[in-house]
Amino acid sequence: MKHFSEDELTLYYYGEGRRRENVERHLDECAACAKVYREIAGTLAMIAAPDVPERGDQYGLEVWQRIRHRLPERDGSWLGQWFRWDRLSVAAAAAALVLVAFLAGRTSRDTAAPPAPTTLPVNTVADGDAGDARQRILLTSVADHLDRSERVLTDIMNAPNSGDISTAQGWADDLLTTSRLYRQDAVEAGERSVATVLDDLERSLLEIVHSPSRISAADLEQIRRRIDAAALLFKVRVMSDELRQREQPPAPSSPRTSTRKVS
Amino acid sequence: MDATESAAVLARARQGDSEAFRALVERHSRSVFRLAFRMTGNEQDAEDVVQESFLRAYKQLGRFESRANFGTWLYRIVSNCSVDLMRAKQARHDQSRGDSLDEALDLPATDLPNPERQAQSAEIQRRVQGALAALSPLERAAFTLRHYEGRSIEEISRTLGLGTSAAKHSVFRAVKKLRAALAPLRSQES
Repeated sequence: MKHFSEDELTLYYYGEGRRRENVERHLDECAACAKVYREIAGTLAMIAAPDVPERGDQYGLEVWQRIRHRLPERDGSWLGQWFRWDRLSVAAAAAALVLVAFLAGRTSRDTAAPPAPTTLPVNTVADGDAGDARQRILLTSVADHLDRSERVLTDIMNAPNSGDISTAQGWADDLLTTSRLYRQDAVEAGERSVATVLDDLERSLLEIVHSPSRISAADLEQIRRRIDAAALLFKVRVMSDELRQREQPPAPSSPRTSTRKVS
Repeated sequence: MDATESAAVLARARQGDSEAFRALVERHSRSVFRLAFRMTGNEQDAEDVVQESFLRAYKQLGRFESRANFGTWLYRIVSNCSVDLMRAKQARHDQSRGDSLDEALDLPATDLPNPERQAQSAEIQRRVQGALAALSPLERAAFTLRHYEGRSIEEISRTLGLGTSAAKHSVFRAVKKLRAALAPLRSQES
């Protein structure tokens, strides 16, 4: 009778190995191999998967905030390098186009309707009013969100040097989820500058949420210093004001152009 | 994120769009952490592996085959980052350690006033953790993939970049060491 090795029995335990029927039959007949198999199975049954510590819904964002400033240079194939040059030329062309559009806008300011802010995506005729309305709703919502965030940041900046910040943390936690959604909307709408401010804001909100509720003076000072260093309050205020201005529907076209033609 | 959207995000990330890479990080972080924790058995080490894995993934994204599965590719990176981290830790510890297996299993008896069964279960867990900690990084990684993650030997070999035979023997060695380390507990139970 040919016995099976420990290794073969280990494979059998894990459902692998080529002669499974043979092993099975042998274990029914051979007490020695059956004993070894029971030992292997008994040992491995003791080794339960460890409880993995919970990570919340914001975990991905936390990881991103930790690594985003450490992203290394990309390894690229020669094709990838070629595409980099290609992208550079596209970027240069885009920059030239923006410059031309800017100059054209300045020279025709007196004769045309006020130009749309440069950060607004250009709506096609097909997008029509529905697109404008959606854009205005987004702008209003983000502006409101920035106002609420500004209040939380101001509370943190003016809080006593140590003590309980749990109320501000609760608000920050609520704002964090919304902020992510608005940032994604902003990215999709091509609102890069809005997305950048929201990204900076998320970082500070995250830091506030993850600080101990009874914060030490040193920790609080560190949060404040980061808010200051990023000029975050200033950016949030400026962006909010800009969005409020852009919320206004464009003024109806004046008949100035035709009047000038007549004169 | 459905399959089409996922492919689009991946394509953008490969072209260097950091927002798209961010979406991938946000999507995969929890599963990466779970694997890293199982591999390393330590929360702080797992956090280090998570960050290192995404940084490595970002760096190598240009070489990722778009037809491949990103999750599988990332899984491989996480496994190898875990092995690297455990190797680095072991190299540091080996300078001041003798027989790692004996030392890892030389655990103090529990003194908590719990019922006997609970104490026994805690003792088993402590022994198991000690025995796992005493495995070599490669043995631990191969065992984790086989035992906790349910990966076949073939998959383990691809994930860790080993030959099939090397992957198989890493699992066998791990099982042998674990059997030896946990034998006293088995005799207590029987």
